[in-house]
Amino acid sequence: MDYVIKTEEIKKVYNMGAVDVHALRSANVTIAPGEFVSIMGPSGSGKSTLMHILGCLDSPSDGKYFLDGEEVSSFSKNKLAWIRNIKIGFVFQTFNLLPHLNILKNVELPLMYAGKRASLRNEIATDLLTRLGLGDRLHHKPSELSGGQRQRVAIARAVVNNPAIILADEPTGNLDSQSGNDILSIFKELHQEKNTIIMVTHDKNIAKIADRIIMIKDGEVVDGDITN
Amino acid sequence: MAISLTESIQIGFQDFWTRKLRSLVTIVGIVLGTMSIIVILSLVNGMNEETMKWMTERGGLAKITISNNWEAKNPLNLPNYFSYKEILLIKSLVPEAEVFNANIYLRSNFKYGENTTFSRTIGAFPDYELVEEWTADRGRFIKNFDITESSNVIVLGNTIKEELFGSKNPIGKTVTVRGQQLQVIGVMKYRFIGNSGSNLFSDNPFEYMNRTSIMPISTMINKFGQRDAIDEITIRAKSAEDAVALKNKLEDIVLNLRRGYGIFNVVSAQEEAEKMKQSSMMFKIIFFFISSISLIVGGIVIMNIMLASVQERTREIGIRLAVGARRFDIFLQFLIQSIMITFVGGIIGVLTGVSIVKHVGAFLNTNTVVDVTMIYIALIVSVGVGLIFGIFPSIKASNLDPVEALRYE
Repeated sequence: MDYVIKTEEIKKVYNMGAVDVHALRSANVTIAPGEFVSIMGPSGSGKSTLMHILGCLDSPSDGKYFLDGEEVSSFSKNKLAWIRNIKIGFVFQTFNLLPHLNILKNVELPLMYAGKRASLRNEIATDLLTRLGLGDRLHHKPSELSGGQRQRVAIARAVVNNPAIILADEPTGNLDSQSGNDILSIFKELHQEKNTIIMVTHDKNIAKIADRIIMIKDGEVVDGDITN
Repeated sequence: MAISLTESIQIGFQDFWTRKLRSLVTIVGIVLGTMSIIVILSLVNGMNEETMKWMTERGGLAKITISNNWEAKNPLNLPNYFSYKEILLIKSLVPEAEVFNANIYLRSNFKYGENTTFSRTIGAFPDYELVEEWTADRGRFIKNFDITESSNVIVLGNTIKEELFGSKNPIGKTVTVRGQQLQVIGVMKYRFIGNSGSNLFSDNPFEYMNRTSIMPISTMINKFGQRDAIDEITIRAKSAEDAVALKNKLEDIVLNLRRGYGIFNVVSAQEEAEKMKQSSMMFKIIFFFISSISLIVGGIVIMNIMLASVQERTREIGIRLAVGARRFDIFLQFLIQSIMITFVGGIIGVLTGVSIVKHVGAFLNTNTVVDVTMIYIALIVSVGVGLIFGIFPSIKASNLDPVEALRYE
C-alpha cells in the first residue's frame, strides 16, 4: 500500500516530576499521498502532540514513524530540520508570522533555509503570494493585514518548498467564519492539486471537508485510521 | 542546506535595525572601551616618537658614551678617570668608531694686544665638531695633525673673538694664554637660541658657548700641563645596528683597564632606545588591559541584552525552527547579531577616539600618533568581545525546544 505517513505504535510520555504523563499511548496512523485528513479530538486528547510528532517538531518516546518512505524517529536534529524545511509545511492557528519582516520575506524564509538564492526566492514567493491575491501587499508587515490575509501568507509559507505534507493546526480557529471559509477553500484547492493535507481541528463541521476524519481520544486513535 | 554567512549578516542587520535604540544603548560600553584604547595607544605612541626625536637630536642612536659609574665598587681605589694615554689606547682599539671625542677643560685669561678677556677652553679631539654638531665658520677647526703635533693653535668662541679683535680678522693672529702664544686658526659659529640672533646683548642661553674656545687636547696637556683626568668619552658607531657590538667591545676594554671593576658605564643610545621601547610596550599593555575592563563590562551588558533578546524572541526562534532552520542557523543568527553590535560599537569608538586624539592632542599641544595597527587592534578586540559574550546567549537560543518555543507567549 502506498502511503506518505505511517506511524507504528507511537507513544509519547512526558515526565512531570513524580508522574509520567502519557500524551500518546498508541497512535497508528496511515495517510496516503494526496489525501486530505482531519484529526479530531477533544482538548488534551493528544492531537497536538501527534501533530508535533508528524511535523517532526517533536520525536516519539517509542514507536516508528515513516515519512515519505523514511524512518524519521532516529534522525539527527539537523536532519529533522531539513525534513521540516523540505517535506513539511506548517499552518498554525495563530499564523506565527515574523512581525518585523514583510510578508514577502516571511514567505521567503523556508526558501532561505533551503539555501535558495535571493533572486529565485523573491520570484517564487512573489508568484505564490500573487496567486493568493496578496500581490499588492508584498511589502506590508503582517500587522497591516487582516487575519484571513495573514493566514493566506502562512499558507504560502507552508507550501513554498512544495512539501510532501501540509500540517494545519486549527487554521480557522482565529478567523471569522467568512475568512475561515476562504482559508478552507484554499485548502480544498491545494487538495485538488494533489497535496497531502492534515488538518487538526475540534470543529466537526470543518473536519467534514476532509476525505477522512481520524478521531483521537486519551492518546489513542479511536476511529478513522483507514485508507480509502 | 545551510544558510550562507551573507544571509546571517543580513538577518543580523535587520535585527540590529529593528531594535535601533536598544542596539545603540548596548554599544556604549564598547564605544568607550575602543575609544580609550585608541586614545591611550596614540598618546603612548606620541610619547615614544617624542623620545626618539629627542634621542636623535642628542647624537642619534649610534651614540655611545663612557662615563663614571658613581655606584661602582672600587676597593683598590683605581682611578675613576682616564689618562690621556688610556684615551689614545681606547681610540686605537676601536678604529671602527666613526666619531671619537674626549674633553678636558682650562679656564684662563686671553690676551691680544691691549685687549684681555676670560674664556673657558676645551681641549678636544677633531671629532668634537661632529659630536656637538658645531664647528668653525671662519678659518678651520682642529685637525688630526694638531693633535699629533700638540700645535699651539686655538679656535675662538664668537664672543671672545669680538672682545679681542672687534671687527678685525683674527685668523693667523696670535693670542696669549697663560704666557703661551697660540695661533688663532678659526672662529666658532655664533650660537644662539630664539629669534634675537643679531642682538649680542640679549639673554642667549647659549652665550656660554660663544665664550668657549677650543684647542687640541694634546696641546692642553703637553703645553699647559693640564691634568689628564678625563671622565667622559663620546663615541659614535657607523650605524645604530653596529652600536651594540661596539658598545660591548668598549665595555670589555674599560673593564680590562680597571682590573675587571665596572668603574665606568658604557651606555649605547640604541640600547637605551630599545629599553625605552620595551618599557613603553609594557606601558601600552598595561593601559590596554585597563581599557579592556570597560570592554568586559560592555561585553557583560551585551550578554545580558542578548539573553533578554533570546527570551523575548523565543517564539520567533520556534517559528524559524518550524520552517526549517537548523540549530546552527539560530546560533549563527544570534552570534552575528552580537558581533555586529560590538563591531559597530568598535567603529564608533575608533572614530570618536581618533577625533578626540586629534582635537585634544592639538589643544593640549601633546604629540599623538594614530597608526593603522591600533585601529585594527581596537576593532578586533571589540569583535572578540561580541564573539565571546555572544556565544552563551546564542547557544541558549539554539538549544530551545521547537514545540515549547512555539507555545511561548
